[in-house]
Amino acid sequence: MRWLPAFVSALVASTTGVLAVKKSTEERFASFHTKALASSAVKLSDASFRELTAAPRDYSVAVLLNALDSRYGCQMCREFQPEWDLLAKSWTKGDKKAESRLIFATLDFSDGRDVFMSFGLQTAPVVFYYPPTTGPHAAKSRDPIRYDFVNGFQSAEQMHAWIARNTPNRPSPPVQRPINYLKWIVTTTILLGGGTSAFVAWPYVLPVLQNRNVWAAVSLISILVFTSGQMFNHIRKVPYVGVDQRGGLTYFAAGFQNQFGMETQFVAAMYGVLAFSAMCLAIKVPRIADPKVQNVAVFAWAGILFFMYSFLLSIFRVKNAGYPFALPPFM
Amino acid sequence: MSADLLQAVADVGKGKGTRSLLRVVILCLIAGAAIASRLFSVIRFESIIHEFDPWFNFRATKYLVANGFYNFWDWFDDRTWHPLGRVTGGTLYPGLMVTSGVIYHALRALNIPVDIRNICVLLAPAFSGLTAFASYLLTNEMTTTPSAGLLAAIFMGIAPGYISRSVAGSYDNEAIAIFLLVFTFYLWIKALKQGSMLWGAMCALFYGYMVASWGGYAFITCLLPLHSFVLICMGRYSTRLYVAYTTWYALGTLASMQIPFVGFLPVKTSEHMPALGIFGFLQLLGFLDYVRSAIPGRQFQTFLWLFAGGIFGVGLGGLVLATSLGFIAPWSGRFYSLWDTGYAKIHIPIIASVSEHQPTAWPAFFFDLNMLIWLFPAGVYLCFQQLADEHVFIVVYALFGSYFAGVMVRLMLTLTPVVCVAAAMAMSSLFDTYLVAKAPKPEDHVADEASEGAAKKAAKTGLKSTSRPVVGVYSYFAKGTIVSGLTLYLLLFVLHCTWVTSNAYSSPSVVLASKMPDGSQHIIDDYREAYQWLRQNTADDAKIMSWWDYGYQIGGMADRPTLVDNNTWNNTHIATVGKAMSSREEVSYPIMRQHEVDYVLVVFGGLLGYSGDDINKFLWMVRIAEGIWPDEVKERDFFTPRGEYRVDGEASEAMKNSLMYKMSYYNYNMLFPPGQAQDRVRGVRLPEVGPTLSTLDEAFTSENWIIRIFKVKDLDRFGRDHGQAMAFERGIKKKAPRKKGPRTLRVD
Amino acid sequence: MRTSAVFAAALSLVSFAAANSPVSQTYPPPQVWKNANLVHIISAEKNYVKENINVLIENIAKQPQDEYFLPFTTDQLARLGGVEVKDRKDAKAGPFVAEIVEVDPKRNTQYLRIQLPTPLKPGAQQTIGISYYLLDAYKPLPATINIEDPQFLSYSFSAYCPSAYTTSKQKTEVKFAFSNIPDYTRLPGSGDVAEFPVKQGAKLTYGPFDEKAAGAVEPVQVRFEFNRPVNHVADLERDVEVSHWGGNVAFEERYTWIQGGANLTNHFSRVKYQHFRLPTWHILREMRFPLRVGSSDPYYTDVIGNISTSHFRSNKREALLEIKPRYPLFGGWKFPFTIGWNSDAQNFLRKTATGGYVLNVPFLEGPRQAEGVEYEHVQVRVILPEGAENVKYTTTIPSSSIVSAKVVIHKTFLDSVGRTSLVIKARNLVDDFRDRELVVSYDYPLTASLRKPIVVIASSMAFFAGIWLLGNLNLQFSK
Repeated sequence: MRWLPAFVSALVASTTGVLAVKKSTEERFASFHTKALASSAVKLSDASFRELTAAPRDYSVAVLLNALDSRYGCQMCREFQPEWDLLAKSWTKGDKKAESRLIFATLDFSDGRDVFMSFGLQTAPVVFYYPPTTGPHAAKSRDPIRYDFVNGFQSAEQMHAWIARNTPNRPSPPVQRPINYLKWIVTTTILLGGGTSAFVAWPYVLPVLQNRNVWAAVSLISILVFTSGQMFNHIRKVPYVGVDQRGGLTYFAAGFQNQFGMETQFVAAMYGVLAFSAMCLAIKVPRIADPKVQNVAVFAWAGILFFMYSFLLSIFRVKNAGYPFALPPFM
Repeated sequence: MSADLLQAVADVGKGKGTRSLLRVVILCLIAGAAIASRLFSVIRFESIIHEFDPWFNFRATKYLVANGFYNFWDWFDDRTWHPLGRVTGGTLYPGLMVTSGVIYHALRALNIPVDIRNICVLLAPAFSGLTAFASYLLTNEMTTTPSAGLLAAIFMGIAPGYISRSVAGSYDNEAIAIFLLVFTFYLWIKALKQGSMLWGAMCALFYGYMVASWGGYAFITCLLPLHSFVLICMGRYSTRLYVAYTTWYALGTLASMQIPFVGFLPVKTSEHMPALGIFGFLQLLGFLDYVRSAIPGRQFQTFLWLFAGGIFGVGLGGLVLATSLGFIAPWSGRFYSLWDTGYAKIHIPIIASVSEHQPTAWPAFFFDLNMLIWLFPAGVYLCFQQLADEHVFIVVYALFGSYFAGVMVRLMLTLTPVVCVAAAMAMSSLFDTYLVAKAPKPEDHVADEASEGAAKKAAKTGLKSTSRPVVGVYSYFAKGTIVSGLTLYLLLFVLHCTWVTSNAYSSPSVVLASKMPDGSQHIIDDYREAYQWLRQNTADDAKIMSWWDYGYQIGGMADRPTLVDNNTWNNTHIATVGKAMSSREEVSYPIMRQHEVDYVLVVFGGLLGYSGDDINKFLWMVRIAEGIWPDEVKERDFFTPRGEYRVDGEASEAMKNSLMYKMSYYNYNMLFPPGQAQDRVRGVRLPEVGPTLSTLDEAFTSENWIIRIFKVKDLDRFGRDHGQAMAFERGIKKKAPRKKGPRTLRVD
Repeated sequence: MRTSAVFAAALSLVSFAAANSPVSQTYPPPQVWKNANLVHIISAEKNYVKENINVLIENIAKQPQDEYFLPFTTDQLARLGGVEVKDRKDAKAGPFVAEIVEVDPKRNTQYLRIQLPTPLKPGAQQTIGISYYLLDAYKPLPATINIEDPQFLSYSFSAYCPSAYTTSKQKTEVKFAFSNIPDYTRLPGSGDVAEFPVKQGAKLTYGPFDEKAAGAVEPVQVRFEFNRPVNHVADLERDVEVSHWGGNVAFEERYTWIQGGANLTNHFSRVKYQHFRLPTWHILREMRFPLRVGSSDPYYTDVIGNISTSHFRSNKREALLEIKPRYPLFGGWKFPFTIGWNSDAQNFLRKTATGGYVLNVPFLEGPRQAEGVEYEHVQVRVILPEGAENVKYTTTIPSSSIVSAKVVIHKTFLDSVGRTSLVIKARNLVDDFRDRELVVSYDYPLTASLRKPIVVIASSMAFFAGIWLLGNLNLQFSK
């Protein structure tokens, strides 16, 4: 059933293509190029897309099929759009006389559903490169070359390299990133402010810096953070919590080799409690002068330790099925 | 009365002689336990070298033993990386091989002719015993309590985090490197505490040995300067530090530069720069210190300090400048990927493709360290109690070790020692508190209350928790509870370690074990079957093309030249193999001819359900090939339009036509009734008609089809395209040859 | 038996001397004999050829004769082994001395000289039986086959038994393992037989022929089915290590095994192999080693480690070691491997009245295969305990097969002077000679037996003392 719309749209495509041919490629290129000069990358709709990409054409088109609308929750789309615009801008500015005869365009899903369907696209963003069918740079095959973002986000430079590969012996002006003045200003102010405040607050800061407790706390916390797999979260960009089949939230990822953000924080907390109770037993308790208080403290900390450890083991059994060891109460 | 009993028990080890004797005995037992717990694989299978890299080390060791040291030193190996060859002598860390070579010859001198293989297999366990001893020494430097060292030793001896790389047969650099690491640290602490040149020189000596053994020496190279730097920042500069560091750096650097593979890196690459910078800075401080001692004067000192800071800044700036101008090489890729964690995935797919370079999830930590992982912070906290120089070292080591371990699984190895030391300190302080016979009298604490104020004042700089004086534990019941609890945890730890070792870390991935229906063990030995076949029934110089994972094994077991191996020094060459594997036959054949390939070896788990096979690794070949030939190999083409990676009827054309796919499934469906062919790894039904090969012949297939070897056909006798030749033999009328892709190469 | 062994060995040592120095000899040998009747039996049932020549010889010279000559071509000589000559009439008159006499290296025909124990008077007759083996005697025909095809071998020989003397009456019988013999050379018959050979079952008979002159040959070729592997052991090194302290004799055998059958036309295809599981087949799948009863803890390895496909059945009656190669052996494939086992010393070692020791072990213990096994080079090394002296040996292996025998020193675990070991090299043996005895006698004084423990204890004591001294050494600089 899902073929029907695709088929229809394909039909539409062909017809519009036929119509489009009435305008010569020259004119089309001229018009779109002026647009491109005006904006960064030409924003397209179904119709204009077909007109632009209609064969025969003596120019090439690089079009980004994107889904910016937050409803689709496409993170990479939003990340990549500015890069693409930047690339388009610096390229088009780069050769005003349009010797590369390349037009950058963007087609958003909301404007061009039919096109998306006709390609049967499941994912976005996707970049299509249409080689010219006539003229000096004419390519053998008229069908577009597709670029999927299989290995993640691509910077403007990487995309530039790809396009430049597909447009050999043509000028390929490099990407010019605009200098981010605001950033500079902000950083300088922050630096200056920080410096002055540090200078002013030095007498007050110094004791803090020289305080052992602070350093102890800092180092213990960072150790806990690292040993509870936060770096994994950082590198693999794991979700904070998971969603199971029935749409409910799961806090512990199944399997030995993956985890959720919250899970790791939880584990870090458990380690912290265990370590703290061990510390108390080792350091604080023997310094309690009152026998009764001391007794209570001993059993309290010992109880917490035991309880936590047993809980930790039970959670580990969740991660690693077939782990044989356990402590009461969490058998 | 129980007190008397405990007293009696405690009296056993009173005399110094008895104590030291007890210690020696205990340490020997610990070493024994460490060795014994690493012998699972030998008992279960046999004395065999494990996995991949060890096979190269083994081969190199045999070469060393056979041809002597100097030939080994300038060994050019023309049987790998055909046709490039490899300057093996200059591109390996010789420490491991030389160590076992020395042991071998020493035993020979004693008329104990032990087979070199057994020495290599048992080297790692033997050194693990030494490592336990080294951590005993290191811990004794940290605390005064005698029990801590022994605890650290046993922890180190059986902690899975270390066992994972040192079971019998895993004959890899880490086998000896960890011992050297710990021992070097011990010597460093010793040198620092005594400020003695002798210990500093010893430290440098073992540092040199470490450099000769493992690339991980950079960890020491960065940690010691860092420690010194922290000490300086804490205002703890002393002549002891000066002497220790200067001696270590000067001698150690010279020693490290003797290794061909290291050469001038210590003065040219960024990862060594901190050491150099601190060295310079220390000279400066030494000078200032001298001047200050000579000339008093408040503002003069401040001036000097500013001067020092200025110089330091200038030096740093110069360093940065030199780096940016390219006099100093920036971080090497492997090293850099530790900081910029996303780096490798984009730029160095080969590094990213190795499983042990992945970040560590928290279960791995618990799996490898069990309860130590939560005793560890407690121990580090104890270090803050009286924060002497050596304790600073532990803190710094702990922080960096845990960071690196979090970024890369294999660096769990460098974390383990400090975890053991810290955990042992915590554990021993617990025992010292609760395992004492004498209890304080309740009336003592009145006095304590009085002296408390003073104590508070005294401990202003110290930790808050230690402000009060120690009283001791009153009730024996409490003591009993705690001690029994700790004992329980320790027993659990031992059980855990044994379980992990026997289940996770004791299979020599060359031999696979499976359970028969009756529960008996059945050995699946396809790898060696195929390698032995290659060794016996192919020409001595037959070139074998396979994915790089198997290069070392082919070199070691089949003794045949390979195109690529696990020493991935030439990305392009690997990419070439990847291209040959992932392209159509018409494309691959010329590549194979140009590289004089005689046999192609693939690993196929489809029949047995062996998941580590080449089809599962295939995407990495494609990616690495795509990195070099983006226009000829495209990862996208190997996915279905819906973006799935499939091998059944739905598979993409590029997949079905790729050499790897064809070789893996060639003739496979003939094993099954028509249409029933089943891939047990991917769990899919394969298409009715299997792939056909026109440029390769099936030469050998192991019993369970895990290894398949194909012979590359010679050029066709009548100069035909192989495809046509096959078609002709199948009796199909010769149509007009449709040119598809590049024609097969004609070299005669 | 023992006596005969000793006798043979004693002679064998003599015979070396003879064989190594060319004897002055007229060529061809003088016509002093006549073969009154000769039966030549060629048995091609196994993958080597065993030939039996039973001949009634008659002295036609004037004076008594005691030397009989049998001709061989030089290429046969290279593959000739296990020559034994017996008197057919009385079995207990032990094997006659027989050795190759090298008259003239350039000639293509060389002679085996048979020394009769007692000279034969003129006109007298005697029946002697000459038996010998020829290794890699066959050519596969066709040379390459598919997995599923049967294997055919061809053997060419002379229908008239080659002889240095006139033969008045003779016939040649050829026996095969299978009755399927597609082609063989046909000869015109004589007497009531239309044509030779006569085929009955798996047997061909050429002859009887009438008188033939000396050196007459009639080359014929037979091509027969042999659907079994052709087992050729290029090299066998066999170590027998005696330990008095351990009361143990350790055996280790290193084989270089080659399957000499027809090669594969196409490469090995696992699918086909798994499909065609024919009962009798030219593929070597398994070897069975019947070891001496009481053999224990065997091992089976090759250059890259242990081989798991082996099975050892041991009880009071037998000790059978069944091993499978890592891969099935096809024609032209090679598979070197090592097996070893232990056995209680008292099964092999006796103490003589004079205080010496006598070791009696099998010279050769190969696998027992239905199709037979042939050994090109065999080296047996008997490693005696450290300090054993005046070593003597005797063996029942045909003396002509033994190439050399010498006593050397072998140094191994914790030896101070090294172990006396006897190395015997032999060639062209076949598995018919399994369990032929090798008897080694030697003296082993008590001092020698005590040397090792004393040395070890002393050295370890010295070591600990050294450690202790080091421990007490004070490395501090004196303040």
